[in-house]
Parts: sequence; structure tokens; C-alpha cells
Amino acid sequence: MESQKVDMYMMMNSKFFESHHLVAVRDTLLSLDESKWGMVQTVPFKDPTTALIISLLAGSLGIDRFYIGDTGMGVGKLLTCGGLGIWAIVDWFLIMGATREKNMAAFQNSIL
Amino acid sequence: MSKNKLYSLLLIACFFGYMYLGFSIFNAERNLNPGIKGCLFKNITTIPCPSCGTTRSIQLLIEGQFFEAGMVNPFGFIVAFVMLTVPVWIFADLLLKKQTLFNAYNKTEHFIRTKWIATILIMLVLLNWIWNIYKNL
Repeated sequence: MESQKVDMYMMMNSKFFESHHLVAVRDTLLSLDESKWGMVQTVPFKDPTTALIISLLAGSLGIDRFYIGDTGMGVGKLLTCGGLGIWAIVDWFLIMGATREKNMAAFQNSIL
Repeated sequence: MSKNKLYSLLLIACFFGYMYLGFSIFNAERNLNPGIKGCLFKNITTIPCPSCGTTRSIQLLIEGQFFEAGMVNPFGFIVAFVMLTVPVWIFADLLLKKQTLFNAYNKTEHFIRTKWIATILIMLVLLNWIWNIYKNL
């Protein structure tokens, strides 16, 4: 793919990935065929900031985990009052990283 | 999520679950005031959350009062079932070097993400929540 397009993509989407993922994402995009551009561009990413807001407001109901697509963990959090409140607090710090990991997985699935 | 991460998370969750259950029963037997009120949601808003009363429900289940347990909070049945099966299942998987629990977890996750099932489940949780608020757990 053209490096100009890739750079534009990176500028628009860098906040969705962990910083150590960025190089890998860029290299993958550069090596991709032009025909994949449409698919890559339309992957719906979850915003880590939104996930954090949801986690702060409704973390003990597990809604943050449902939002990022971690349904099993969400059910676990819901059934245990957010792990007696402890898991809910731990997740305030983990949820942004977890969202970025999920985004990376979604990106990798889109180019398969 | 990787298999090892899921298994260790589940084991830690079960461990703390049993610890908290033991602590609650210990306090209840001696008529002590339960010093820790676990629910963050209830502490902040004073409204019970959908899963408030699960511990009381499981305590009733242990005493064999199944109907009363369901009346306190039906979530108790689900949590009791998970707490009983998961540790055994994990150890069986580790011994047999298989990953049946991991596969079952992924399948269930996929299943409950189906739109109409998710809708029904969300409705049930909301109804249970309304019931909890009505009962003032």
C-alpha cells in the first residue's frame, strides 16, 4: 500500500492501538495489497476513552467489558457485583489497555 | 484471551469467592455485623445492584432452602453452579491436558452474543434488578 495512505491511517487510528503495536500495524499495512484498503478502513474500533468512562460509571455491572466485546468477563463482573468492587476498581486501570488489545485483534482479523 | 489467563483468572475468582463465602458464614453464625459490604454500587447509590443478595442466596442454598434462595436472588443458583463446577473442570483439564473448558467458554460467549438471546438475557437482568430494588435487598 502507498505509504501516504498508511500514514494517514496511522494518524487517524493511532489512539486505538498500544504504542508498541504501532510499528507492527504500519509494517503490516505497507505490505498489504491495495485491494484490502476498503476492508481495513471499515473495521469498527472501540474508543479506549469511552471504555474508561463506561468503566468509571457502570464498571461494577460489567458494562465496560460488554462494550469491548469481552462478554464472558462481563457476565462474571455482573454476577459478582464487579468482583465485590475490587475487580471493578482494578478494571479502571486495565480497561484502556484491554480495549487496545481487542482493537489489535480486530485489526488482525480484518486482514486475514 | 489465552487459555492460561482464563484459567488463572477463574481460579483466583473462585478462591476469593470461597473466602468471602466462608467469611460471611463465619459472621452469620456468630451474629456479627458483616464488616465489609462488598457492593460498590450499593455503597455509592444506596440502590441494590442486580447481583446484590447473591451471597445470602448461596448461604440459603447451603442450608438446603432452595425456594428461599431463589426468592432472595436467582443469581445465586448460577454463581453456586459456576463455583462448584469450574475448579473441578479446570483440574480435570490440567490433568488430561485438554482445553474443554476454554472451548466451552468461547462457545458460550459466542452463543450469548446472538442478538435475540442477548436481548432476552438483558431483559431478565433488568427484571431481576427491578425486583431487587422492590425487595430492598
